[in-house]
Amino acid sequence: MNHSIRAHLLNITWLLFILAIFYFLFLKDLSGIRDPVSLLPPSFLQLNTVFLSILIEAVPFVLAGVLIAGCIQIFVTEEHVEKWMPKNRFAAVLVSCVAGACFPACECGIVPIVRRLVAKGVPIYAGVGFLLTGPLINPIVIFSTYMAFGHDAKMAGLRMGAGFIAALAVALLTSLFFKRSQLKEEASHPPLSAANGKAPFWTRVRDMLTHSIDEFFDMGKYLILGAFFAAFVQTYVAAQSLLQIGEGWASSTLVMMALAYVLSLCSEADAFIGASFRHLFPASSILAFLIYGPMIDLKNTMMLLSVFRLRFVVILIFLITITVFACAGVLAWL
Amino acid sequence: MVIHVQQAFRAVILAAFALFLLRLHGNGEITKYINPEYILLSKTAAYLFLFLLLVQLFRIAGKKPKSAHTCSHTCGCDHDHAGQPGKKVLSYSILVFPLLTGFFLPPQTLGASMAAKKGMVFTAQTADSSTQETDSALYDHAGIAASRKEMKQSEFERHMSRLEQDSLIHMENEVFEPYYREISTEPQNYAGRTVRMSGFVYKEDGFRPDQLALTRFLITHCVADAGSIGFLTEFDEAALVEQDMWLEIEGTIELTQYDGTEMPLLKVTSWEVIEEPDDPYVYPVYVKLL
Repeated sequence: MNHSIRAHLLNITWLLFILAIFYFLFLKDLSGIRDPVSLLPPSFLQLNTVFLSILIEAVPFVLAGVLIAGCIQIFVTEEHVEKWMPKNRFAAVLVSCVAGACFPACECGIVPIVRRLVAKGVPIYAGVGFLLTGPLINPIVIFSTYMAFGHDAKMAGLRMGAGFIAALAVALLTSLFFKRSQLKEEASHPPLSAANGKAPFWTRVRDMLTHSIDEFFDMGKYLILGAFFAAFVQTYVAAQSLLQIGEGWASSTLVMMALAYVLSLCSEADAFIGASFRHLFPASSILAFLIYGPMIDLKNTMMLLSVFRLRFVVILIFLITITVFACAGVLAWL
Repeated sequence: MVIHVQQAFRAVILAAFALFLLRLHGNGEITKYINPEYILLSKTAAYLFLFLLLVQLFRIAGKKPKSAHTCSHTCGCDHDHAGQPGKKVLSYSILVFPLLTGFFLPPQTLGASMAAKKGMVFTAQTADSSTQETDSALYDHAGIAASRKEMKQSEFERHMSRLEQDSLIHMENEVFEPYYREISTEPQNYAGRTVRMSGFVYKEDGFRPDQLALTRFLITHCVADAGSIGFLTEFDEAALVEQDMWLEIEGTIELTQYDGTEMPLLKVTSWEVIEEPDDPYVYPVYVKLL
C-alpha cells in the first residue's frame, strides 16, 4: 500500500517535470514567466549563472569520461588488467601515475574512469595514482601554466614534478591503508569476459553506450551538487576574507589550498587564477594551490563520494592535504 | 511488454539537457556562461546528449521489468534497482534542478557585487599589482578574441602598433585585454594619451567620491573563473553614477600612486551612460603563432 503510494508520487513528479518542460517550450510566451523571476534576489541569479556555467563547461568532459568508462567496462577485461598491472605495489603505483600523466583528462571526467578501472580489478592505490596525475599532468595544463606565469617554465615544471612526486606519495600511502577496492557497492562482478567475448561487436557497443548513460546519471547528480556548492561559495564568500588570514608561510599555503578546494576550477583554467596571487603569497603556496586543486576539490569530492566509501574519501583527502602541504614545505625550504 | 518508467524519465532528462544546450547556442546566451572558444565543445556535448537519447529510447520498452540483458543487469544499473523511491526522487530532483533554473531563470551578467567578492580590482596594493601580473601573464595565453576567432600574429601586431601610434586608444573588446595589460604594466609609457573605453561601474570603500573603477570581467573558461580588470577613473560627477551602470568614457591617462604602486588613472574628459552591451565580457587573446 505504502509502496504503491510512493510509486504514484514518483510518477506524478515525473509527469509534472515533463509538463513543466512542455509548458516552457510551447506556452512560455503566453504568460508572464519573467514575473516570478523578479521576486528572486539578484544574488541568486548570479549564483545560478555561475552554477550553470560550471556545469556547461564540465558536461563535455564528463560525457567524454563516461564514454571512456563505458569502453573500459565493455572492452577491458579482468584478464587484461591482470596481465598489465604489475604485482609489485611500487611498480603498480608508478605505472598508474605514469599512465595518468600520459592520459589527458580533467578532474570531472576521470572519476567514472577510475571507478571502472577499480571495478575491473585495478588495485585501489593504483587507481588513486591515476586519479591524481590524470588531471594534473597533461599537455593543456602544462601549456596554460607556462603561459599564466609569463612564459616561465619553472612554475610549470615544478607543478608537474612536485605534483608527480606528491601523487606517488599519496598513492603509496593509500596502499598502506587500503587493500580492497573501496567501491561503494561491493557488487560481485562475475567475469563478464566470457559472456561478452562472444557477443557480437554491435551488441557490445550498445552495451557500452547504455553503461555510459547509467554512469552519467550516477555522476551527474554529484557533479551538480558540487557545482552548486562551488558557485555558492563564489557568490557569497569574499575571497578577500580568506586572503586576510594568510600571513606566514604555513597559513598562506593552507589558505591557497582551501581556495583551490572551494573554487573547484578546471585544472586547465586554474593557472591564471593562481598566477594572480603571485604577489600576495610565496611561490610555494601558489604551487600548493596548483597541485592541490586538480587532485581534490569540492566538485570532485562529491563525485568521489558517489563512487567510493565515505571513510576512504575522507582519508584520501587527508592524505592529499598532508602530502601537498609537505611538498610545498620542502620547496619553500629549498 | 512493459514500459520502464525510470528509463523513460532518463530519456526525458537527456532530451532536456540537449535542448537546454541547443537553446543556449541558438539564442546566443551561451556567451553569458562560457568563453566562445568552447562553443564547439559544448555543441558537441549537446549532440552527444541527443545521440545518447537515441540509445536510451531503445531501453524504454522491455519484456519484463528486470529483463535487462546480462551485462546491464550484472553491473550497469544494479544500484538503481536497489534504490529506495525516496532516494530516487531526491537524485532525480537534483538532476532536474539545473534544468529548471536553466530553462526558467535568465543568465545574469556578472557585476559589481561579484567584483567585490572576487576582490581583484584595486582593493589593496598587493591585489592591484597582482591584477597587473595576471594580465601580463594572460597576454599571450590561449584564449580568444571576442571576434570569436584566433588572432593571427600579424593581425595582433597591427593592433599593438595601433596602441603605440593612434592618437586615441580605443579599447575595443577584442583588444581590451592586451591593451589593458600593456597600459597597466607600463603606465609611464602611456601617460598623457587619450583612451576610449566602456565598462561597468565598480566602487568600493576607500574610493574618493570622484573615483570609480571602470571594469570588465575577463573570462578564461566560464564565468566561474572570471577576473575583473579595469582602470581607476576620476571625474567630478562620479558620485552621481551608481554601481553596475555601464559607461562609455574618454579620458587621459595619468599616473597615480596607489599604496606605493604606480598605476594608471583615467581623467575623464567626456562620459555617457550606455546600455549593457550584448557582449559584456572580454577574453584573453590567443595569438596564433603559425
